[in-house]
Amino acid sequence: MKNWIDRFHTCIDAWGEKLHEKELRIPVDLTVGVLFLLFALFIMLVMPQQVAVSEKDVINGRAFPTLLMRVMMICCGLLIGKELYKLLTKRPLTWKVINLQVEVKALAILAILIVTYVVCRITGLFVIGAVVCCLGFLFYFRCKKPAYYVITLVIAVAIWAAFRFVLGVDF
Amino acid sequence: MLQYIIPATGLLFTLENILWINIGVFVGSVFAAIPGLSVILCVILFLPVTYTMTAIPGMMFLLGIYCAGGYGGSVSAILINTPGTPHAAATMLDGHPLSEKGRTKAALKIALYASTFGGIFSALTLLFLGPQVARVAAQLGTPEYFMVCVFGLTIIAGVSGKSMIRGLISACLGLLIACVGSDPMTSYDRFTFGISRLYLGLDLAVCLIGLFALVEILAKAEKRLDDLHMDTTKIKDDGKITKSEYKRMLRPVLLSSLIGVMVGIIPGTGASEASWFSYSQAKNMSKHPEEFGHGSVEGIAAAESANNAVTGATLIPLLTLGIPGDGTVAIMLSALMINGLNPGLSLFTTDGDIMYAIMLGLILVNLFMFIQGKFLTTIFAKVVSIPQEILTPIIVIFCFAGAYSINNNYFDVGVALVFGILAWVLRKLDMPPVPILLGLVLGNMTETNFRRALLISNGDPSIFFSSIYCIIFLVLIIVAVATIVKGKLSEQKKAQTVAVAQEEE
Repeated sequence: MKNWIDRFHTCIDAWGEKLHEKELRIPVDLTVGVLFLLFALFIMLVMPQQVAVSEKDVINGRAFPTLLMRVMMICCGLLIGKELYKLLTKRPLTWKVINLQVEVKALAILAILIVTYVVCRITGLFVIGAVVCCLGFLFYFRCKKPAYYVITLVIAVAIWAAFRFVLGVDF
Repeated sequence: MLQYIIPATGLLFTLENILWINIGVFVGSVFAAIPGLSVILCVILFLPVTYTMTAIPGMMFLLGIYCAGGYGGSVSAILINTPGTPHAAATMLDGHPLSEKGRTKAALKIALYASTFGGIFSALTLLFLGPQVARVAAQLGTPEYFMVCVFGLTIIAGVSGKSMIRGLISACLGLLIACVGSDPMTSYDRFTFGISRLYLGLDLAVCLIGLFALVEILAKAEKRLDDLHMDTTKIKDDGKITKSEYKRMLRPVLLSSLIGVMVGIIPGTGASEASWFSYSQAKNMSKHPEEFGHGSVEGIAAAESANNAVTGATLIPLLTLGIPGDGTVAIMLSALMINGLNPGLSLFTTDGDIMYAIMLGLILVNLFMFIQGKFLTTIFAKVVSIPQEILTPIIVIFCFAGAYSINNNYFDVGVALVFGILAWVLRKLDMPPVPILLGLVLGNMTETNFRRALLISNGDPSIFFSSIYCIIFLVLIIVAVATIVKGKLSEQKKAQTVAVAQEEE
């Protein structure tokens, strides 16, 4: 078992080192501008289906979201315009470097969170999800100290007990 | 004012309130002492706990966390040269060098004394200034309130991130998310996308757990696991502060408390700005400027008194106008409103006894922070070294339990997860999360006042420029935007100059 875990860690490390060198550069202002412009347009598009109004209303429920989306579109326009001006004048754009190793690690953490959520939801027992969460993170951090496992699991059960019996949360 | 003080004292001095203050102070100190855990995260995690409480113990608990967080951040700044919270960064400059000189206890003591003074000064300012500002606020109508909301959102959008435009996009996003659910004026569904549960809207605490807490868990991917082991043998000095040191601390503490209060009143500016500004002022005015950065008692005192003097002052715009001074007090607004307490003059008249109990309670919070700091600093210091392996799953469990406990269902946990992912994506795009928080908090108020004002004017937008208060706020918005843009441009220029200089080297 120990050998298997060590081999798994070695394999992950080798993979991680490869990923560490891979970076993704994105023109952040341009991306934000385009992304949120599309988002604002989408909201404007779905507004008639998503916000019911009465014909009698002088100022209806669409007025405020419409104002917000217009402000958002103006801001996006400014961001895109600024970046296009930089492109035309051959000045450097605002770049953001995204490291793939970090993103994969974040996905692993997200997987632990989702598994915890699914376990809680399926079993209906929060305490089981809490235990899974602890074990998941201890495994993620490659913890080899048995004392840490004991402490974390005891605290996890204690939190569940505090919410369940002191605050009266039914889970 | 006096007619409220006596009943307020009776409401405040109960065993329950004293207990919650002390729990809040302890939890706040511990959280702030751990680098990577912020006060806002702590307030978010414990906000669901206050939903079952009445206004006074709930607010006392949150204020305990908020104020003690100001001091707690200095513990790790002094001990391990890593600020527990961003506003303790200025304290670190002199706190750690003084600790290196073998005077750790003395540095912690100076931080505690200065924090307590700043906190009490700020609480007294709130007590005397709050009702006066509320009287002015009572004269504001719906168009003026809309302008106040725009003012608060603009400032916070401007100062929160690197770019004001991105901040404004974030604020719009937050305001839009606040629109999800039933229309506040007609009760029609909005943006529910066929999910019936969304008719009730998104709970603020659930969104915040995702936006601020779960995203920090995902951010663990960015860091290497390095245990912050602290040498506790460091705290072995007698902690004695000499008479001349006390004398030298007096002027920076007084001045920095004043600066902290003034900075705190302005929405969007917070403890970090106050502590850096006070630190530089103290350095300029000191007879020993050469000691700054090498363990100056004045430096520690100035930074710490300023960041705690912000605490009461940020509550002034919150309690009078409903405009939160910073992200943490924005969350407290929801704790107030859940108990039917709405910001404005009525808070100081109809609910005067409760309000004065909370304001007096802030003084009590600072006193208990002093007592706990005096006797429990060694414990606060030890938590600095809690390993991430233990801390991370515990925070996740708190997040999930907190999200579930609000409405006793797993749908909210799922919403928190979705917001966590959203916050991670936004972080990758350098979008500040604080304007989203402000948008969420102020969404209902902004929209209701916007629509009511337009209803009064029959759809004519000139109503937003019709009164003197509207014009004052408009001028303030223009001045604030101009100042922020000017500041950002000079920052960019400086960065460009540095880059050019580096290239030349």
